[in-house]
Amino acid sequence: MSLIEIDNLSVTFRAKGREVRAVEAVSLTVAARESYGLVGESGSGKSTILRAICGLAPISGGSIRIGGVPVATPRGRAFAARVQMVFQDPYASLHPRHTIDRTLSEPLAIHGLSGSDARVVKALEDVGLPAAFRFRFPHQLSGGQRQRVAIARALMLEPEILLLDEPTSALDASVQAEVLNLLDRLRDERGLTFLMVSHDLAVIDHMTDRVLVMQNGRAVEELTRAALAGARMTTDYARSLFDASADRMLDPAKEAP
Amino acid sequence: MSPLLEVQNLRVTFDTETGPVEAVRGVSFSLGRERLGIVGESGSGKTMTGRAVLRLIRPPGRVEADRMVFDGQDLIAASEREMRALRGQRIGMVMQDPKYSLNPVMNVGAQLTEGLRLRDGFGRADARAKAIAALEAVQIRDPERVMEAYPHELSGGMGQRVMIAMMLIPEPDLLIADEPTSALDVTVQAEVLSILDALVRDRGMGLIFISHDLRLVARFCDRVLVMYKGRVVEEVEAKNLLAARHPYTQGLLNCLPRIGGSRAPLPGLDRTGAWTQEGTP
Repeated sequence: MSLIEIDNLSVTFRAKGREVRAVEAVSLTVAARESYGLVGESGSGKSTILRAICGLAPISGGSIRIGGVPVATPRGRAFAARVQMVFQDPYASLHPRHTIDRTLSEPLAIHGLSGSDARVVKALEDVGLPAAFRFRFPHQLSGGQRQRVAIARALMLEPEILLLDEPTSALDASVQAEVLNLLDRLRDERGLTFLMVSHDLAVIDHMTDRVLVMQNGRAVEELTRAALAGARMTTDYARSLFDASADRMLDPAKEAP
Repeated sequence: MSPLLEVQNLRVTFDTETGPVEAVRGVSFSLGRERLGIVGESGSGKTMTGRAVLRLIRPPGRVEADRMVFDGQDLIAASEREMRALRGQRIGMVMQDPKYSLNPVMNVGAQLTEGLRLRDGFGRADARAKAIAALEAVQIRDPERVMEAYPHELSGGMGQRVMIAMMLIPEPDLLIADEPTSALDVTVQAEVLSILDALVRDRGMGLIFISHDLRLVARFCDRVLVMYKGRVVEEVEAKNLLAARHPYTQGLLNCLPRIGGSRAPLPGLDRTGAWTQEGTP
C-alpha cells in the first residue's frame, strides 16, 4: 500500500468572480520511504499540491489519503505528527521575533511533549548547527543556516513524511549542495518519505526516484529516474523542460545550439 | 574599437564601527559590446561591482577606482546630475528581486509609462502602446491585463519580466542585469535570455550578467569573471569554463547536481585551500 495516495485532486481558487484552476485532476502515489518529485514552471500547480495536502489550499475535487486514511479537515495534531512541510524561502518561513529555541520548541509544546530542552539541542545537532544557535534570532543566521533550522523544525515531531517546497532554490549552489546532502542523510537515517517540489530538473533528479512533470495544473508525464537520465520522455513539454535545463549546457557531448 | 566600459582597480569600502570592510577589492575588467558574466556566491561582491558602475552605493559606502570610464565619460569624476542622465537612459540595471524593486502602490502600466511620459514627453496613448510592446517583447501573454495589475498580483517571473521590459524601453547601451533570471523557470529563463541575447546582437548593447549560476552564465555569456570575497579569482572564456583551473571555479561547478549523475553526496566547496588566503589583510 502506498503511503501517500492522491486521486484526481483538483484545487480551484475563487476570487472576485474569477476562477483559477490551480490543480486539475492530478493523481499520484508515493510508497513509504520513496522520494517523489514534482517539477514544472511557476503556476503549474506543483506547490499547490503540497499545500492542499497540508490543508493550506481548498480541495475542490478528488481525495488525498495518507496511509490509506482520507485526511481530516481541519488536519489536526495527528496529521502534523505524520506530515511536515519545509517551505521555499527560509527568510519568510521562520518567525523573525522568535528565537530558534522558541521556533523549535513550539511544536513540542503544542503536542504536549516533554524534554524539549534536550530535543532542541539534538535537533540542531542533527542538521549540523552548533547548540549555541538556539539563542539566536533568524536574522542572525545565513540563508543556508535558516533552511537548516526550517528542516530541524519540520523534524521536531518525528514525522514520516516531509513535503519539500523548493527547499534550496533560495540558496547558493555550494550551500544547496550542503542542504541536499543533509536531506539525503536524514532520509536515510530516519526512513523518511519525501514529496519534493522543484523547478530544477537536476536537483529533482539527484533527490528523487520518480518525478511527475506538471504544466498548467495538469500532470503531463511521470518519469522514473532512469527514463529521465536516458532522455526517454514521450511528451514534448517534458522534453523542452529537459532541454532547457542549464545542467545540459555544459555537457561537451551535447553542444548547445 | 575602444571598450564600452573600462574599470580598473575598483574598490568598494564600507566604514563600520569595527573598521573598514572592503566588499570589492581591486576589480578590473573591460567590456565591449559583448556579454560579460560575473559569477560568485552571496557576499562575493558581484552585486556591489554592478552597483558601483552606476555609483548606486550609498554612504557610508565608498567607491574608488583608478579608472572607470563609460563610452569616453569618466564615471568617477561625473557629477550626480551627469550620473542621473546616464542611469536608465544609457546604462540600465535590472535588479534582483521584483518584490522589492517595483513600486507596490503603482500599477504596472503607470510604472512603465511614467518615464516615457515625463522624460520623453510621450502622450498617454503612445506611451501605453510602447509599454505594451515592451511587455510583449518579454513574452508576456496578455499585456493588457498585466498593465492594470499591481506588483503583488504578479508572480515572480512576471515581475521580473516587467522589470526587464521597463529597463529596455529607453534602449540603453549597457545593461547590468543582477540575477535577472534566478526567479524564473527554466523554460522562461531560456526565453528571457534569448531576448537579452537578441539585444546584444542586434543593437550592439553591452551586457553585464551577474549570477550565481555558473552553468547558466557559461552557456549564455562570452566571458566570465569568477569572484570570491571581493576579488576576481579567475577570468575565463565561457566556452573554456569546463577547463577552468582555479579550485574555487571547479568547486562551484562540481557542487551542482547533474541529471543522470551519481547519487553520492555532492562535493562541498573546500574553503581551506591556500587561494582563500590570497591578499586577505
